[in-house]
Amino acid sequence: MAEHAWILAAVPGIAFIVMAATGRKLPRQGDWLAVLCALSIFALFFAVLANFLNLGEAAWPVLNSIEWTTVGDFELRMGIAVDQITIVMLGVVTTVALMVNIFSIGYMKGEPRYWWYFAVLQLFVASMLMLVLADNLLLLYVAWELVGLSSFLLIGHYWERRSAVEAAKKAFITTRLGDVGLLIGIILFWDATGSFNILEIQHAVEEGLIGDTRLFVTVMFIFLGAMGKSAQLPFHVWLPDAMEGPTPVSALIHAATMVVAGVYLVARLLPIFELAGDALTVVMVIGLLTALYSGVVAFAQTDIKKVLAYSTVSQLGFMFVALGAGYASAGMFHLFTHAFFKALLFLGAGSVILGTHHHQEMGQLGGLWRKMPVTAATFLIGSLALAGLFPLAGFWSKDEILHAVEGQGTWAFLLLAIAAIMTAFYTTRLFVRTFLGKPQDEEVASHTRETGPTMTLPLVFLAFMSIVAGFFIFHDFGTALGFPGGFSEFVFLHYPSVFHVDWGLVGLSTVLFVVGTFGGAWFYWNGRLDRSTVLAEWQPQVYDLIQRKFYFDDLYQFLIDRVVLGFSYLVSWFDRFAVNDTGVDGSANLTGYTGFLLKHLQTGRVPNYAMAIAVGVITLALISLAVGS
Amino acid sequence: MVPMENYLVLSGIIFSLGVYGVLARRNAVLVLMSVELMLNAVSLNFVAFAAYLDPSKATGIIFAVFVISVAAAEVGLALAIVIRLFRNRSTANVDEAATMRW
Repeated sequence: MAEHAWILAAVPGIAFIVMAATGRKLPRQGDWLAVLCALSIFALFFAVLANFLNLGEAAWPVLNSIEWTTVGDFELRMGIAVDQITIVMLGVVTTVALMVNIFSIGYMKGEPRYWWYFAVLQLFVASMLMLVLADNLLLLYVAWELVGLSSFLLIGHYWERRSAVEAAKKAFITTRLGDVGLLIGIILFWDATGSFNILEIQHAVEEGLIGDTRLFVTVMFIFLGAMGKSAQLPFHVWLPDAMEGPTPVSALIHAATMVVAGVYLVARLLPIFELAGDALTVVMVIGLLTALYSGVVAFAQTDIKKVLAYSTVSQLGFMFVALGAGYASAGMFHLFTHAFFKALLFLGAGSVILGTHHHQEMGQLGGLWRKMPVTAATFLIGSLALAGLFPLAGFWSKDEILHAVEGQGTWAFLLLAIAAIMTAFYTTRLFVRTFLGKPQDEEVASHTRETGPTMTLPLVFLAFMSIVAGFFIFHDFGTALGFPGGFSEFVFLHYPSVFHVDWGLVGLSTVLFVVGTFGGAWFYWNGRLDRSTVLAEWQPQVYDLIQRKFYFDDLYQFLIDRVVLGFSYLVSWFDRFAVNDTGVDGSANLTGYTGFLLKHLQTGRVPNYAMAIAVGVITLALISLAVGS
Repeated sequence: MVPMENYLVLSGIIFSLGVYGVLARRNAVLVLMSVELMLNAVSLNFVAFAAYLDPSKATGIIFAVFVISVAAAEVGLALAIVIRLFRNRSTANVDEAATMRW
């Protein structure tokens, strides 16, 4: 089964085609088909997993490929490679996709283009699975663009709203900037090694086939793609805006799966990154900056989805820090746990938005725990997992990252610890202001009610996963489930590191959690002033800086308005005046005017023509005489 | 024997007369006759060269026969056009047949 894992991607692919063609006319607009599809790939994943574990370590990675095309001597093969990282990704994608599909039935009820929403969701799942299964960079790139396309379509689902259109465009163009880098990197790898296959490229690099500088440049181009997709500085601007899409989409695409594609890519190519000079340092610095930056910005956001979006950017930064420290397992583990609790938080936010009839500003919420107990309880679990409460999922993975960074110098460790405190802080702020205290807006509160079972059941399941996902790190937990060990032993088979609980680190993490959480609670508990108000009055410029996201968006707007549009204006001027008016119209006018002048030669009188012939013959004769003599 | 130059001079005189006729005459029939004169001058040239330069071969004479037959066909066609012109315009003056212009 593992060698036929491509079926996992094929099933939603077919579902997309069927639903896009007939979805509108199907009973219930085909949502049952979407859930059926998600259920079947969820079940198929376990078949793949069981077979993968049965085959044993000797057979890993499981490869299967067919000929794609042949150009001259070069044969391009298209295929899948199932290894441990792929298995982790498959598990995450199929699980979250199932939960989101079920949740969407309730959330999207009565929304426009219901059938199209579910169809594109299947397209996304198909491309995402293809992305993680691909054994060569070219196929990966195709899937990479396809997930970008589905993300674009889903962000712009409510295209009647101008802001949604703008956000979709922004997401598409920003990630495209990185994707160009990825494509250049892939071409450079192909140029140097003559192959797109990831394993072959890895072998070629290990044999030293690519010079140091060239390898570094190539890897940096690849990393550019990862930064774009995973919304790292300075490409992060699209992700918060992408919250314009339906909330379940934010949970699936912009929290759990697509945005971690960059992390996945770097983890998959980590052996190459390790050989490429300072590449890993760059990865780590970018990750650290992103984690800190978005942690700070999350303070001043008032929209619950925006807070979660910046939190996602921040956590992606954490993952890159782990990868930059060379610990693929820590990064992948955080990816794994984060997918569950962040999907839970987003779906919880979706439940809040639906329960309060589309209110997502924290200033209008508050006190929701009475009205929405299930959502509040599961949201609390998700928040605590994100903040890093022992022993929830986020605690273990954050611990792993802190452990990974320990060897990288004090500054990195300190900055990451600060980022961890900030995580706990803004998460507490989010929970307290949304669910606790008194309702800020009686009007909203009076309408609020708990959402239906199609929405609460996924929340409960994801809450369960947010509690237990962290235990995968333990050797005994892994072996009990049939894995050859805990998470990091499984993922990093060749350099197994058995996980030991480092009580010093656990203590430190707990201190970070307590500082962050209690700090947040102290500031935002009912009746107290909003911290942002205090800051706004005390240091208006600092507050403005944070609230305006350090002017990143303004800077980009300025660059687009002045530089890009200015240059486009020049180009359009050249096109209009030089190419069109002078070149195209000019030559046409010249021909027309010449014809206008020359037409007078046509007198219609035969003697004139005869005279012209005679004069011509005589002239030619004289010339030939002159030349001949 | 008459020297070849005499034939060539005679041919040149006839050809010049033909050119003059084509350029100076306005009556279409006379223009056609002048064209015939030019053709005859050329034929005379062919025959003269054939007889003097390579008597064993008949190349020039064959060309002259060709010219005569083509000229006959050409006159047949051209006179038909002149007749149509005269029917439509009541004139054979080439200056007045000047509608084919811009």
